[in-house]
Amino acid sequence: MDFLQILAKRLVGLVVIVTIATFLLSLLTWLLPGDAAEVIAGGAAPQVIESIRQDLALDEGVFGYYWNWYTGLLTGDLGRYYLAGGYREVSEVVGQTLPVSLQMLIYAQIVSLTLAVPLGLVSAYKENSRFDRIVSSTLFTMVSFPSFALALIMSLVFAVQLEWVDPIGYVAPSENLLEHLKLMILPVISISVGLTSSYTRLLRNDVIQTLKEDYVTMAASKGISDRRILFRHVFRPSSTTLLTSAALNMGGLIGGTIVIETIFVIPGIGYEIFYAIGSRQLIAMQTLIALIATFYVFFNTTVDLITQVVDPRTRERRV
Amino acid sequence: MSETISTADSADTGPLAPAAKRKRPVGFYLAGSWLGSIVLLGLFGALLPLRQWDLASYDYLGALPGTPGHPLGTTQDGYDMLSGLINGARISIFVSFFAVLFGGGIGALIGITSAYFRGKYDLIVVSIFNIMLSIPNLVLSLALLSTLAYSSPDKPATLQRRLIILILSLTIVIIPILGRIARASALQWSSRDFVVASKSMGTRNFTIIRRHILPNVAPAILAIGFLAIGSVIIVEGSLSILGIGVPGGASWGSMLANGRGNIAFSPHEVYMPAICIALTVISSNWFGDYVRSRLDLREAKI
Amino acid sequence: MTNLLEIEDLSVGFRTPRGNLQAVRNATLTLAPGESIGIVGESGSGKTVLSRAVMGLLPSTATRTGSIVYQGREISDLPRDEVRDLWGTGMAMIFQDPMTALNPTRRIGSQLSESLVVRLKMDKGAARQKSVELLRRVRIPDPEGMLRKFPYQLSGGMRQRIMIAIAVSCGPELLFADEPTTALDVTVQAQVLELLDELRAENNTAMVLVTHDLGVVAGHTDKIAVMYAGDVVEYAPTKRLYASMKMPYTEALLNSIPRLETPTGSRLPVIEGRLPDPTKEVAGCAFADRCPYVSEKCRAEKPPLMDAGDGHLYRCWFPIGGVN
Repeated sequence: MDFLQILAKRLVGLVVIVTIATFLLSLLTWLLPGDAAEVIAGGAAPQVIESIRQDLALDEGVFGYYWNWYTGLLTGDLGRYYLAGGYREVSEVVGQTLPVSLQMLIYAQIVSLTLAVPLGLVSAYKENSRFDRIVSSTLFTMVSFPSFALALIMSLVFAVQLEWVDPIGYVAPSENLLEHLKLMILPVISISVGLTSSYTRLLRNDVIQTLKEDYVTMAASKGISDRRILFRHVFRPSSTTLLTSAALNMGGLIGGTIVIETIFVIPGIGYEIFYAIGSRQLIAMQTLIALIATFYVFFNTTVDLITQVVDPRTRERRV
Repeated sequence: MSETISTADSADTGPLAPAAKRKRPVGFYLAGSWLGSIVLLGLFGALLPLRQWDLASYDYLGALPGTPGHPLGTTQDGYDMLSGLINGARISIFVSFFAVLFGGGIGALIGITSAYFRGKYDLIVVSIFNIMLSIPNLVLSLALLSTLAYSSPDKPATLQRRLIILILSLTIVIIPILGRIARASALQWSSRDFVVASKSMGTRNFTIIRRHILPNVAPAILAIGFLAIGSVIIVEGSLSILGIGVPGGASWGSMLANGRGNIAFSPHEVYMPAICIALTVISSNWFGDYVRSRLDLREAKI
Repeated sequence: MTNLLEIEDLSVGFRTPRGNLQAVRNATLTLAPGESIGIVGESGSGKTVLSRAVMGLLPSTATRTGSIVYQGREISDLPRDEVRDLWGTGMAMIFQDPMTALNPTRRIGSQLSESLVVRLKMDKGAARQKSVELLRRVRIPDPEGMLRKFPYQLSGGMRQRIMIAIAVSCGPELLFADEPTTALDVTVQAQVLELLDELRAENNTAMVLVTHDLGVVAGHTDKIAVMYAGDVVEYAPTKRLYASMKMPYTEALLNSIPRLETPTGSRLPVIEGRLPDPTKEVAGCAFADRCPYVSEKCRAEKPPLMDAGDGHLYRCWFPIGGVN
């Protein structure tokens, strides 16, 4: 199949998935007991509630209401947060919070991949050695360790008892880089531990498979060093698996940041979702979830396409 | 013809794989006994001569572990940690067990029938699964819970009602996860010769599913079910920390959420439930992985 | 003339869940510079393991005993780093399946120039020039364009030529070719074998040709070792072997080759029965169960290696044409 054809097919799939998912959410909102406008504004003056009702097209039935939101989304109107004294545009909020979350996730990805690549390669190379066994069982335990439990225990030990870092808060890197990094340490470690474990395990199993390939023996028979074989011949095919998984994780991680950002009070998109849910900002919530779903599907698609470029094996399969 | 001799242990997933000998790994017993005692405490903990978990004693506020009468200490509000943890075991196990049971049951039913009958029904099922899976677990359960758990201010939600809604939301989250696995596994089996043979004999479809497909798919669902229990406990804990899980320190996650504010004064309020959650998740993952590796061996022998 | 390679008493076993698997037993072979030897046997006879064991390319579950002398130097007990110095420049290997032996994620150019850069310390430009020359020598059309291609863009025959180019790139004295033509079309097989002969003649390269096909080795080797169940059962100069073979097994192998004069529709003679379980030691001759001339003695006692003169060794109590 042609590259553009695949791309087009994927894009259509993306739109369909996001459309249906958000429609189901709208339906849920619609089916709520009571009036959505009252839920959102909660005890505000009747005129305010009426204007919100107008704003959201709540009188036009579930389809009208959904259509209103959907066309708004397509034209860049992400809806509003209705606050006591007025409203804030969701797009503005997303613009402020998303970069913070992405920044944290990228730190976590860098830390995890930097640790996972050597660990995975070495434990695969020394399969079943003492080193491999210790690394494997430790990581298996770590991957199951809930990140919020780790976050709380770490903030107890390093922030409260040892006072090495502040337990909560966020400083932009442009303001004070050192302070920024210090505050990022605990949240990034909390996210990275599970991530590192799953990446290492993935890479290890993949490399073990690749090491059994004929072309690795062939490379060895040329008299090249093991290190060169590992990096030049084994790592590249195996790294595509890792890359795929890393990108697939981005979508899921955004969900995971909700808790971490709440625990460490970091003004990211996860915290914003938590806030929207807590204050019953149904429209904002729907928009944020739509954005995350889009983000997730978009990442998957991009990764698939990139993989086909990096790894010629996938091209071969289609021939 | 290649004469390379392959070694037996290629199907490894966890740290169990190297120890593919007859002997069960130590972790199996550790995980098993932790899970076993949690279940026992959850079921019969209420019979133990302990303090009531939701009865505060104002003489002991934030007592340290080891205080007479409160072996694991108390919270800043005077609740006994030990009976709180035991009650938490009950709620956590209850929630995750039923969520996985219902979610797994419904998911398996949908997944198996969709793999067996194929066609439009299958297409619709797969699309819905994909849509649900495109939203991260926690976000989906947050969305479901926050809409389902809505109650008007004059009728505050009771613990029972919150539990039911929590289980319902988690069930919905579990359905596509286990459903997709059941479908993938059933897809393999429904093309096997014995199924085709049985069909050609005129056996009724549901009889074939019950006799031939379900018994083969069940072990895979069981293995993933253990892993799912672990994830459900994590999601439940996360929801509690976000303040919309089980209220009032009834579950481990809820104890953790309540104790967060007191972290500086009585750290045991945080690390005890955190460790309980972590150990339970680790154990159920170990268990699931063990079941799965046994399953792979069985598959390999066929 | 001194020998290039002297293998003595080489045994290889594998640790498996079912116990020790004896893949090669006490093999003794010699090879002079420029000479070529065919190692022939069914799959499972130990021929591939033997060739890989000589080079040292065995998995970690393997145990190897015996002596391997290469250019007058004992290499069987050398540390891996020193053995590796011989690979590529001294001994090189051509693998059986060109579909799996080239790295699918790297371009032909980088795979070909790798040993030139790493082993011969060539700079990039020189390595590229040499690569083009190598591709031309293995008769690849448009060698420059080939450098930029990925393996999946090439046919099996092309890939095999490229593998040969890689193997000869550092001018080895000894080439191991493990079933180099099995995965290829019959028409391409002959071309590849001729190409190998040609390249070997240019550099006086010795070759160990591993195959299950006695027909393949006939015109391309100086001597032949026939293997069965881990033993070298017959070992003789090629011409002598075809003129007066001693082993019933060799005869059976020869009969299993399809010939042009075989009338169409007639059944191809196959060797009845199977190889014995390699994890169990057999008391008598391992071929006894399948041998048309079997007798009591064959089952009771394992025949030793006997000498028929002129470097012809065999392992049979009742050889074809009788004992000399």
